[in-house]
Amino acid sequence: MPTQPTWKNTLKACLYLLPALVILITFNLYPIMKSFFISLYTDYDFFNDVVYEYGFGNFAKLFQDPNFSKAMLNTIIFVIGVVPSSIVLSLAIALLLNTKIKMMGFFRTIYFLPFVTSVVAVAIVWGWIFHSDYGLINYFLSWFGIDPVKWITDPVFAMPALIILSIWKGLGFNIIIFLAGLQNIDKQYYLAAKVDGASAWNRFKSVTLPLLSPTMFFISIISIINGFKVFDEIFALFNGRPGPANSTLTVVYYVYQKFYEEWQFGLASAAAFVLFLVVFLFTVVQLIIGKRFVHYH
Amino acid sequence: MAKEALSKGTIYLLLTLGAVFMVLPFLWMISSSLKSPNEVMAMPPVWIPSQLNWDNYSEALRIAPFDKYFINSVIVTVLSTIGELLTTILAAYAFARIYFYGREIVFAVLLGTMMVPSEVLLIPNFVTLSNLGWIDSYKALIIPWTASVFAIFLLRQFFFGVPKELSYAAKVDGCSEFRFLWYVMVPLAKPALITIALLKVINSWNAFLWPLIVTNSQEMRTLPVGLSAFTTEAGIKYELLMAASSMVVLPMLILFFIMQKYIVAGVARTGLKG
Amino acid sequence: MDIRLNQLTMQFEEMTAVDRMTTTINNGELVSLLGPSGCGKSTTLMLLSGLYKPTSGEIFFGDKNVTRLDAEKRKIGMVFQNYALYPHLSVLKNIMFPLRMQKVPKKEARERAIEMAALVRIDHLLKRKPAQLSGGQQQRVAIARALVKKPKLLLLDEPLSNLDARLRLEMREEIRRIQQEVGITAVFVTHDQEEALSISDRVMLMNAGSIQQDSTPQQMYKKPVNEFVASFLGNPPINLMTVERMEARQYKLENSAQMVLLPERLNHERVRVGVRPEDLYLTDKDSGLLSGKVLHIETIGRDTMIRLKIGNTSVRALVDPKHQLQTGDICTLGADRDNIHYFDCDTGERVNVEKEAQGDADTADVEEYA
Repeated sequence: MPTQPTWKNTLKACLYLLPALVILITFNLYPIMKSFFISLYTDYDFFNDVVYEYGFGNFAKLFQDPNFSKAMLNTIIFVIGVVPSSIVLSLAIALLLNTKIKMMGFFRTIYFLPFVTSVVAVAIVWGWIFHSDYGLINYFLSWFGIDPVKWITDPVFAMPALIILSIWKGLGFNIIIFLAGLQNIDKQYYLAAKVDGASAWNRFKSVTLPLLSPTMFFISIISIINGFKVFDEIFALFNGRPGPANSTLTVVYYVYQKFYEEWQFGLASAAAFVLFLVVFLFTVVQLIIGKRFVHYH
Repeated sequence: MAKEALSKGTIYLLLTLGAVFMVLPFLWMISSSLKSPNEVMAMPPVWIPSQLNWDNYSEALRIAPFDKYFINSVIVTVLSTIGELLTTILAAYAFARIYFYGREIVFAVLLGTMMVPSEVLLIPNFVTLSNLGWIDSYKALIIPWTASVFAIFLLRQFFFGVPKELSYAAKVDGCSEFRFLWYVMVPLAKPALITIALLKVINSWNAFLWPLIVTNSQEMRTLPVGLSAFTTEAGIKYELLMAASSMVVLPMLILFFIMQKYIVAGVARTGLKG
Repeated sequence: MDIRLNQLTMQFEEMTAVDRMTTTINNGELVSLLGPSGCGKSTTLMLLSGLYKPTSGEIFFGDKNVTRLDAEKRKIGMVFQNYALYPHLSVLKNIMFPLRMQKVPKKEARERAIEMAALVRIDHLLKRKPAQLSGGQQQRVAIARALVKKPKLLLLDEPLSNLDARLRLEMREEIRRIQQEVGITAVFVTHDQEEALSISDRVMLMNAGSIQQDSTPQQMYKKPVNEFVASFLGNPPINLMTVERMEARQYKLENSAQMVLLPERLNHERVRVGVRPEDLYLTDKDSGLLSGKVLHIETIGRDTMIRLKIGNTSVRALVDPKHQLQTGDICTLGADRDNIHYFDCDTGERVNVEKEAQGDADTADVEEYA
């Protein structure tokens, strides 16, 4: 059992790795390359799996398609709408939960509930809550004298409805991770700051925030990446359509449309490849900046 | 800290308000699912149905085969979870305990694939599966999901924590490596394996885009796909829609209440590596 | 069964952990492998176990060459520093584990495990899980598990270092008792000299991959074969000084004006002189070896340790507490001639000054050196 590789060990390792590698290579590794190649199919017959022509035409087409620009823009709006407010809210709740109150476990459970539930199911429930005539939200708004809002059918309000649903759905995950980060902070920093006479706000600013920055950074990147991948919520909330007047058409929804509804595999793959680049970019940013600028303890 | 800035009452008040926002959709879903058609559409809303209309559930079942969807979801979830656990245990052991050529490179390549969003793999995988003739079958729903880099990564970390002396002792005791893995490592890794399994169950049960694409026939639909189709089938009968949604959501809620500790621990761990 | 190592060598990439080691461990002996960390003692144990395979050289168990034999086929038992008990199995199941692996029927395995548990005195804890036991109890379980399959050789890798001081003493005696009761050949790795010297029949002191001295504990302490052995053993450590010959038997202590009279047989211009603190005693000026000013006095239990400053060197001595010494006093220390060791300045090897007949302590000659 020495710690040097041998051919005998390599053979043995191959046997252990075989099942996982067969699956991962076929369905994870190979498709990454394949996806890029499909994006170069400018003329493709799916049913006979024959490619007549290759080229970068799909990418050119993609960037000329106003729907794709709209999808990109909508996705960015969605990310901006969800990520900052979700982080602020979940950090605030995590701080409240971290006060060693008695019902902490109970509240944590409640906040975490949406995480374990089907996006489709809860989106349908929210669709009902957003109902313009009989929905709960409009009922609550009526208390303040606000006229019913057509959340699902008005292009202006479709995106806000989607954002509210997404914040609600993702809050629990962020809270759990913030709580883990908070509990990881050595209590001695607080004691030291307290001895130095720092107020609660100062301690938050000069101890909690800097020490929580890796967690914060992790959550931001994960949220941005997940934001770019939003699909299920839209499909279920708007009943299999990308919102009224394409108002919630996002990149993944665009991929789905081109691929599954219009069978334009090349164009869909090109769009998917752009999505990959965006996600890859954020991951790389996380790896580089995360190591350099964030306080690790 | 927040404890000093705010009074205890304020903290409870804020948390309770938030909690209401979080559970209200679930309560509203269950409440609506038990209402009569008139009560559903009542304005101002009726919070508690005057009588419990369990018929909504049987009506939903009559319109769409939710029992069949349910069985499909169970089959897909159970088999892909078992498959993932098996491939993960074997692979994580190799990466943690066997010194072989290319170990670091192979692992780095696998970790690299985690950066690729699964949406990107959708089209090529669909092409692969149709070439294999697997579209609209359990194979298509299960097999691509029986291995996970993330799970291998988690379990490998856990295996690293098991003292080497334990495997030395086992070897001296005449226990083969493969047997050691199943007799000693796997029982020791039970908490990690439960976490991996639960996260897998949740993901598998709730998966939507993939089953939507690889299933054509009603018989192969899983619950989320069936539910999504039901929105058109049920029309504007919200009490039925809510009954159907409850059937999809409740199993996971129950699982969560029972296994909360492991699920929360698993999610917390995904954050700590960041 | 004697165990023979022949030119045993283990190379890790650039480092040679064990370097051409040759020795024999006799049947029924308890041998300690002692040395500083990184000296190769644990690697030697791993080679004996078969968990590591040597780069070159051979290992014989009796007449059988086991060099390439896997651990599970060598009929050995092994005890680890962290006990390496299976955390998910009860004490009984842990002890039964090796037997179950050998396909011993369950009933027999159970009986043998219980018998072994009784030998190590943990038969009242059979149902517990390892985490519910104290360190000493865990170590007993580990010993029982190692012995239950009746191995020919018991290997112990730093078995006591995770225990607190009091338990260490107790377990040390227990290991000796069990080893003698079973009559098994045992190899015990430790970095703790007291442990090695107290329980072993023989000690092998290792440094940089090779055996420095292989002898009984007494011999090793009384007659260190080189400066490394002399300085490794003993607490407080041995005093080592360099002296230079001025004329005939007159030597001058380096960096001081102190003159010492050394034996005639010592035919070196420069030599290292070693005297253990406990071998020094206070004496009058005429019969002393060294004298100097008391720099520091410390009372440790029953002893008093003084530190003398002689030129630039300081010398430690354990003296009788009945002497009323104070810092600043000038005093003279003497030592029996048998207790003064000489080492070559270049090689560090022992320089023998005794007459041919070994070990005749000629105390009558003491004055001669004064």
